Amino acid sequence: MSTTAVRAEAPARDTLAQTALSLPSRAVAVFSGPLGLALKILLLALVNGIAVWAAIVLADAGKWPAFAVLAVTTLALDAAYLVRRALPLKFLLPGTLLMLAFQVIPIFYTVNVAFTNYSTGHILAKNEAVEGIQLNSLAPLENAKSYLMAPARDADGNLVLLLVDEATGDTFVGTREALTPIERDKVQVDELGVAGAEGYTLVTGPGLVAIDRELTAYTVPTDGAAAIRPEGLGVASELAPTLRYDAARDRFVRISDGVVFTDNDRGSFAAASGEELEPGWKTSIGFSNFSRIAKSPLVRDPFLRVFVWTFAFAFLAVLLSFVLGLLLAIALDKPGMRLQRSYRTLLVLPYAIPGFLSLLVWQGLLNDDFGVVNRVTGLDVPWLFDSNWAKVSVILVSVWLTFPYFFLISLGALQSIPAELTEAARVDGGGPWQVFRRVTLPLLLIVVAPLMIASFAFNFNNFGNIYFLTGGGPASSDQTTAGDTDILISYTYKLAFASGKGQDYGLASGVALIIFFIVATISSLAFWRTNALENIR
Amino acid sequence: MSRRTAFGALIVVAMLAMIAAALPASAAVSSGAAPGGTLRIWTDKDRRADIDRIAKAWGARRGVTVEVVEKGFGDIRDQLKTVQPATAPDVIIGAHDWTGQLAADGLVLPLSPSAATRKQFPKYALDAFSYGSTVKRLYGAPVALENVGLVVNTRLAAVPKTWAALERAALAFKNRNPDNLAIAVPQAPAGDAYHMYPFFSGLGGFVFGKNRAGNLNPRNIGVANTTFLKNASMIDRWDRLGLINSKVNYDTAKNAFLKGQAAFWITGPWEADTLKQSGLRFRIVQLPKIKFRSVPFLGVQGFMVTRYANTHGVGTLAKDLVASYIMTASSQRALAAANGRFPANLTAGKQVRDTVLAQFGRAGQGGVPMPNIPQMSSVWEELGGAWLKSTNGTATNARPTFQTAARNIRTKIG
Repeated sequence: MSTTAVRAEAPARDTLAQTALSLPSRAVAVFSGPLGLALKILLLALVNGIAVWAAIVLADAGKWPAFAVLAVTTLALDAAYLVRRALPLKFLLPGTLLMLAFQVIPIFYTVNVAFTNYSTGHILAKNEAVEGIQLNSLAPLENAKSYLMAPARDADGNLVLLLVDEATGDTFVGTREALTPIERDKVQVDELGVAGAEGYTLVTGPGLVAIDRELTAYTVPTDGAAAIRPEGLGVASELAPTLRYDAARDRFVRISDGVVFTDNDRGSFAAASGEELEPGWKTSIGFSNFSRIAKSPLVRDPFLRVFVWTFAFAFLAVLLSFVLGLLLAIALDKPGMRLQRSYRTLLVLPYAIPGFLSLLVWQGLLNDDFGVVNRVTGLDVPWLFDSNWAKVSVILVSVWLTFPYFFLISLGALQSIPAELTEAARVDGGGPWQVFRRVTLPLLLIVVAPLMIASFAFNFNNFGNIYFLTGGGPASSDQTTAGDTDILISYTYKLAFASGKGQDYGLASGVALIIFFIVATISSLAFWRTNALENIR
Repeated sequence: MSRRTAFGALIVVAMLAMIAAALPASAAVSSGAAPGGTLRIWTDKDRRADIDRIAKAWGARRGVTVEVVEKGFGDIRDQLKTVQPATAPDVIIGAHDWTGQLAADGLVLPLSPSAATRKQFPKYALDAFSYGSTVKRLYGAPVALENVGLVVNTRLAAVPKTWAALERAALAFKNRNPDNLAIAVPQAPAGDAYHMYPFFSGLGGFVFGKNRAGNLNPRNIGVANTTFLKNASMIDRWDRLGLINSKVNYDTAKNAFLKGQAAFWITGPWEADTLKQSGLRFRIVQLPKIKFRSVPFLGVQGFMVTRYANTHGVGTLAKDLVASYIMTASSQRALAAANGRFPANLTAGKQVRDTVLAQFGRAGQGGVPMPNIPQMSSVWEELGGAWLKSTNGTATNARPTFQTAARNIRTKIG
């Protein structure tokens, strides 16, 4: 009965395959004619048009390295499509370019960041930071005055500030040289501020945009280093620097007590006491991030526990998903089963729902006081609040999310195993278990094992599952900052974005690099092992 | 003409056409790269329409084009750190607890509003936006205030005057039905130090102490100060009695209150519309004094001027908009109302007729602005986690849990 069913199915598959195969060849036939040529020219011209546009934008912004990359890429693309001998490049080049753009460049970027101090307080370039420190360290004097202000031009067209002391109502004209009192009745003030003055023309409307840079740098010296500075267009304040920048020696000196802040080679001006000026700047700091990782109790204390759990999590999630997926695939591979399609569709559903959604739903379902799972079953299991149960929950939910993937793959792989092989094994007297163990499984593993390794690597870094389900919690009993379900990548997130002073991209990239080497080592070992499977062929 | 030449000619013609088509487009882009006389504002969705109206009215007077760009609220802070100067904003809307990070990054400029303008704001609202280890400067113009309060369903319980009365009423209500909650306050799954802060301050807890200059000191951590530890046994009692249950998440707490399964709910003005539409009779008060005044965390939202305003040549214009125009009572009223918050400007605050907002405002009296120093990011998870662990129904002692949290915070700050 079963054999006839298989035979009846076989021709149908063939026709399907034939149609599928003939489609591209028919397409090729259509596109190699004049229509194809026209399309090719059109698309290539489009690419070149976009490239020219981009080149102008890049040149305009002075981004010359990007400009060079663009020019080389575009010429290479043109050559690949216009030179006859370069035909294979047609297929290689776009793929290579995409790989460069989405794989190689991010990796280079991560490696680069791992050797810098890129983090909160170290974002700008050094000259920008110096500027920032100078601005931030301006302070109002003891009884500093604040003024209503309006920018104006005097009879000679020079920019001056019309000033009204907010406290006393005294009126002044401020220039780059000095503050000069003028008679009160010469200045008109209304509810919006200074409205005009005799002998001066106010700068208004579009004129304000034109003088913005000049006004930003405008200072009216008053007393020593103190100066009146425009703070907007209607207000000016008297501010004095508290730090003096010594450009020649590249250092700041605090005026009040003479403390010297020098470049500490880690992207900050720091005093001998360790006090740092803010902002700092982004700079290369060599292997500091890695030595911090090695020395920090934040990393050292929980590392082994987190590493073991990461490994266990990734391994169990993949193994259980595979076993469950395979069992279901075997069960549903039975030919002639009723409602087979509906079952298959139902089983693929968890895979079809966006993962983070299911994770959040599961988080609600598993709440031990209010969740559906405990309420319906009458259990009192602390799914997410007990260390061990939380680990079980994380694995169970991960299995729920991944088994459809292995189900689909196993189903496909099972169908690709020739029926003759299993039949021959049966004829030779093998029982169902022996047939499965000695024939089906090894053949299946050839297909599935590399995917399992990929899935393991993915789960090793499965940030989403942990973050959305438990957030790494519950808090660990060993009193370290890593939670009990934190895996390396979710703990990295906590280290880099929820400790210290906020974001620490440098440290995060450093840990990411280390994780990359761990995953790469494990994966390559595993691939090397599975090569042995190939010998079965 | 051979086929080859025709082919080549065709390509040349097509490409020239494309390049010709591209030229005007790139001209448009290159002029956009240097926004001469354009002021770009990043705002969240709620306030977009009002900011658009207010900023454009200002722009017309000052002769500046205003471009309002909508972003997710949290994205504004994160994207400001990575944005390209050409497309960077000149003005952003933000929360006061971003101040430390953004100022330490050097991404926002200090402001000096006039003395008359300053007088129109409560001191704590200006303090909330002030930061600086050497010199304390103001980095933002406060616009709207928010804080949590104790919402009481007055059909189910009387408004409690004392902590003992609240405890009694909440436990009595809880024991009426196994589905009832005593005090609905969200904590699950990861802990919520923000909603728990009134309980924390009521027991004598604080996050950072201040140094002599009045700045928050990241070395002085009050998460396990002696006063709080002395009172921590009260938490164990609450846990035993089920007064607070850390397995309650945000939706559970909200639904319990709305369905009449909780008489007391800790929430803030972002639920004002839900409360008004619920048909429940309720009042919002400050959590009654436990050992100390049980004050909530205060959140202040406002506008900041970025360093890019100076590079774009609109520095004084941006300061004029933020530190003068937006701080006026009329702008504040519109902006605070746009997302249902109490305005920071005192004159505008007096004109608020919304009783729910006014009650939330009173519940925040004496509150503590969330610390705005960047080290605060080391605190949230640990403090929330300590509450989570000590109120989860198992016999965990609060005292050592909070001590561990304090130690971890110290390690994280480094």
